[in-house]
Amino acid sequence: MKKFFSNLNAEKKLAMFAFGIGVIAIFAGDPYGKTSIKINVKELSLISPNEIGKVKVEDLADNIIQSKSDFRLIDLRKPEEFAKYNIPTSENIQLDQLLNSELQRNEKLILYSDNDIEATQAWFLLKTNNFKGINIIPGGLNNWKENILFPKCDCGENPSVEQKHKHDKLAEVSKYFGGNIQTNSEELIVKNEMPQLKAPTAITLKKTSGKKKREGC
Amino acid sequence: MSAPFFKYEYFGTDVSLIIAFVIGIAFGFALERGGFGRATILAAQFYFTNMRVLKVMFTAIVTAMLGIFFLSVIGFLDLSLIYLTPTNVMPNLVGGLVAGVGFVIGGYCPGTSIVAVATGKIDALVYVIGMLFGIFVFGEMFPSIEHFFNSTAMGSVTLPQFFNIPYGIVVFLVVVMAIGAFAAAEWGERKMGNKSLEKKI
Repeated sequence: MKKFFSNLNAEKKLAMFAFGIGVIAIFAGDPYGKTSIKINVKELSLISPNEIGKVKVEDLADNIIQSKSDFRLIDLRKPEEFAKYNIPTSENIQLDQLLNSELQRNEKLILYSDNDIEATQAWFLLKTNNFKGINIIPGGLNNWKENILFPKCDCGENPSVEQKHKHDKLAEVSKYFGGNIQTNSEELIVKNEMPQLKAPTAITLKKTSGKKKREGC
Repeated sequence: MSAPFFKYEYFGTDVSLIIAFVIGIAFGFALERGGFGRATILAAQFYFTNMRVLKVMFTAIVTAMLGIFFLSVIGFLDLSLIYLTPTNVMPNLVGGLVAGVGFVIGGYCPGTSIVAVATGKIDALVYVIGMLFGIFVFGEMFPSIEHFFNSTAMGSVTLPQFFNIPYGIVVFLVVVMAIGAFAAAEWGERKMGNKSLEKKI
């Protein structure tokens, strides 16, 4: 056998090598197998929008302030956008890398992008791969910006106790994340520039009593 | 990291053009070194006296096919992101015949003619001028042949999809076909070589 191979010229050896690899190819498997996903169309078609887990930005902000760590916050945007600003504690994993990342199927995931589209795509992608605790932030970063970083106070001229309470909480949460509350008078002059990336302001939320001093509105 | 790198945006359009330029230079160099810049060698293919073109092309096809197949199997390359030229059966057949006739008459194919021009071959320069004129005529005629151009469309289809057989089987069959073609080419060269020798005697 050894003699047989040594007697072959280089072309024949290469041909035999190619033939061997060709035989291996028959049993190597499906080249689409690692990069494609088998989607259960029937199951997906029965999913209603209500079944997509949603986390309100207010709840997310509270969880971050309270340093809850029972969830992973995933920013789906491009790295350069993530570098400019991201919600504190978030990790940057782009849509096409989700399945290659080290996300666990049983952990609570909160996905966000600028709006709902990418997050919903990611939800479906993970859902079809049997991830269980997937949630999105409705409205994404735009919602976060509007309601957490730069919330508007609609307290009016004579705010009620409840309105004052709401205003104070909004102001403190906004300040914690580096933003500021918008009042009707400020609305025209304040440019809502995203805060620079830094650790959230070290303040603790005060328990609101309803007797607090009125600020802003 | 996954491929194709451009599709995964590891680099932008500008960098992709630079990479394409470098690969193009390397490809042209390899073709020239392989003798593909000489019309006599290319045309000899059609007289079965020198089957270098067939051997090089099949080697390239088999190497690329095996590389793409196994890189996809291990999950490095996303095969679904590779661009496939759509198939239009009749226009492809007619275009193939026209290109084949042009290849025999001129001694070059579009790529090798550029390689030959780079090494100063006058006949290749005439070929390229003719090719550019043909492109111009095609462009001017396009509205009248657009219907034919878009006819018998099959979309982007692969052999495994078309025959509904496993990808690995197709890979194996192409390898066997290449080895068979190599053997036939060697046999044809010997046969035609002897004939031309008899003529000389």
